[in-house]
Amino acid sequence: MRQTLSTWLLLLPMAAAAQTEPASGVPSLLKRLEDRVAKLEGAPAKTSLSAFNPALGLLLDLAYTHGDGQRDSRSRFRFRTAELNIEAPIDPFLKGWAVVNANPDEVEVEEAALETTSLPYNLTVRGGRLFAAFGRMGHFHDDEIPVVDRPRSLDTFIGGEARADGVELSYLFPTDLYLNATAGLYNKVGGENGRADNAVSRPLDHFTYLGRLSTYLDLGDDHSVELGASVAWTPKRFVMDTSVPGDADGDGFPGDGENTSAGIETKKNTWRTLGGVDLTYRWHPTKGGKYQGMVWGTEVFQNDERRFAPATKLPTDRVKAYAGYSYVWLKVGPRWRPGVMVDLSEDLDEARKLTRTFSGFVTYDFSEFHRLRLVYSHQMNNVPGNQHANIVSLQWTGILGHHVHGFRDR
Amino acid sequence: MITFKEKVMKNKIFRLALILLLAGWAPLAQAAGKLRVVATVPDLVDITRRIGADLAEVQGLARGPEDIHQVVMKPSFVTRLNKADAVVYLGLSVEHSFLPGLLEVARNPKARRNADTFGCLGPGCIDCSEGVNVMEKPETLSRAEGELHPQGNPHYNLDPQEGPRMARLIAAGLARLDPEHAADYERNLKAYLSELEPRIAEWKRLAAALHGFKAVSFHKDVAYLGRFTGIDFVDTVELKPGIAPTPTHLEQLVKKMKGQGVKLIVREQQYDAKVCEWLAEKTGAGIAVIGTMANALPDSETFEKFSERNLKALLEAAGKRGP
Repeated sequence: MRQTLSTWLLLLPMAAAAQTEPASGVPSLLKRLEDRVAKLEGAPAKTSLSAFNPALGLLLDLAYTHGDGQRDSRSRFRFRTAELNIEAPIDPFLKGWAVVNANPDEVEVEEAALETTSLPYNLTVRGGRLFAAFGRMGHFHDDEIPVVDRPRSLDTFIGGEARADGVELSYLFPTDLYLNATAGLYNKVGGENGRADNAVSRPLDHFTYLGRLSTYLDLGDDHSVELGASVAWTPKRFVMDTSVPGDADGDGFPGDGENTSAGIETKKNTWRTLGGVDLTYRWHPTKGGKYQGMVWGTEVFQNDERRFAPATKLPTDRVKAYAGYSYVWLKVGPRWRPGVMVDLSEDLDEARKLTRTFSGFVTYDFSEFHRLRLVYSHQMNNVPGNQHANIVSLQWTGILGHHVHGFRDR
Repeated sequence: MITFKEKVMKNKIFRLALILLLAGWAPLAQAAGKLRVVATVPDLVDITRRIGADLAEVQGLARGPEDIHQVVMKPSFVTRLNKADAVVYLGLSVEHSFLPGLLEVARNPKARRNADTFGCLGPGCIDCSEGVNVMEKPETLSRAEGELHPQGNPHYNLDPQEGPRMARLIAAGLARLDPEHAADYERNLKAYLSELEPRIAEWKRLAAALHGFKAVSFHKDVAYLGRFTGIDFVDTVELKPGIAPTPTHLEQLVKKMKGQGVKLIVREQQYDAKVCEWLAEKTGAGIAVIGTMANALPDSETFEKFSERNLKALLEAAGKRGP
């Protein structure tokens, strides 16, 4: 309507002018219109002050949690995070993003990474602080996992989110079958992994090396399976030993001014291997997929490392421990997504000790950017006394601004 | 010692093997010579196949019955996009849930993610929204108004009159990427338009019976359909785009429909039937079930069939004679 009106407003004076100048006639009118169109076409592109600014998004995550333990029960409101996402292309060859997480304890850079966008041969290089391509849920942000608190197996075996400072090279095989391989080199994998410190220099055999292979199969139009295998290998690891002066700055001169109270020494036979296999089955009906669907996700980890006694820092026997989770997440309407999860985690020091967590959860999506989630978890372990706890959490999440549907987090 | 006969026999076997090998490779070589095209929705797959004919190998992403805003990103789509010479898409951010994410990981320099438009960037991109007279451009970009498309309503494929424009864009895109066969694409375009345009004229004549008919739709995606048919869409079943209806909104909608004499409810097939049936019971309105992409409903696998089926559903629900 507005466009039609503006066209008339444009044409009427010209038509009137044409009537008053019969000598020039239609060709003159056309000439003036042509000049006007040329002027419009030659005008600089419309822009705004936001041009070239990165896309910004802020996720707010709040929760109320009630815990009912062996001895008492307690509740609290939790401001879990305000997570700022910034993302933009940098030049024709590179893009960058950062995720800054503010919570009551700290403000930390969760991700700050660069990624190539135009390497040949289906290669991509990512570097910086990133979520390493280990397993499946390890590289999901907290708001993208189906429960409020990260499964215990991920927390204990990976060390929370698979956050890592390092570099990754991935290769997409040029085949009809989806096959993706990733190799990585990092200081360590796991944001809460206390085995190594990002601030400390180290020889090459103290880095963590990662390999991952993942594939995907369509089982008809509505069903699919994704399968992945990952291994993170650290040839040697630092061991905190307070009995000798440390070389925290890695310059080869122990005790030269650095804080020697946390000296560092390498023990022999301290390699660590964290392996994982992940399987995701999806039922997403083409017809009716807006109202129904299912995801079944399972991951199993094996941690193989020589542990060290927390008190003496002396090496103990090598321990192979296993952990994993499995969950089913249903879609039973446009807004409701209930599910269940089981997590089994062996103790890294004593594999006989097993903690089981059973969770039931339901998510209600008000919109794509706003949701409520209720989770009930029952946790128990098999140590003498059989400690157990019941936890109920209600989570409220909202996203301000830019929000991207990422392939990795699907 | 090999005899002469054996030598001849061996030679024959070798030649036969070579012929078989070449024969086996021939179709592959031919396929390799074709333009590899990925189209996001079945409408575009159909039109591209008509224009590309045997010069293009066309694969689709969405199958049709999905909600286009919630198409799942399958890794098998990544491999298709990785090898594509061209990506044909509707644009105006309608494929925002899957196309940008897939292009980001497809590692195809001919078609990369456009971070600004949720579309495609590169020489292989064929944006079918070019030149469309965009309707319902949002006056304010606030999520308080629901899940808006910043560039305006992207569902122009519901207007059959947009078909020739899309076809011309696709033909021009294929000719740009494969100039040797530009004349073939032009010829195929003419043949397609000679078939489509008379049908559009016929549908336009039939749609005249719907002119001024008041209706509500489930989602705010029917502006272009309203432009073609003359149907006056007065409200939506959804509270706002992408926001499920609340009981209060439905009560007000019933009052509005009764007050304005709305006798038609248009339900896009991917949306809930129960709410529409309840509304129909309360207001006495008829329900027309339409698709928002080709192949969304049975017997609508081509753009022509999809357009005709939608019109037929509207005419029948409005009590008029269909095509």
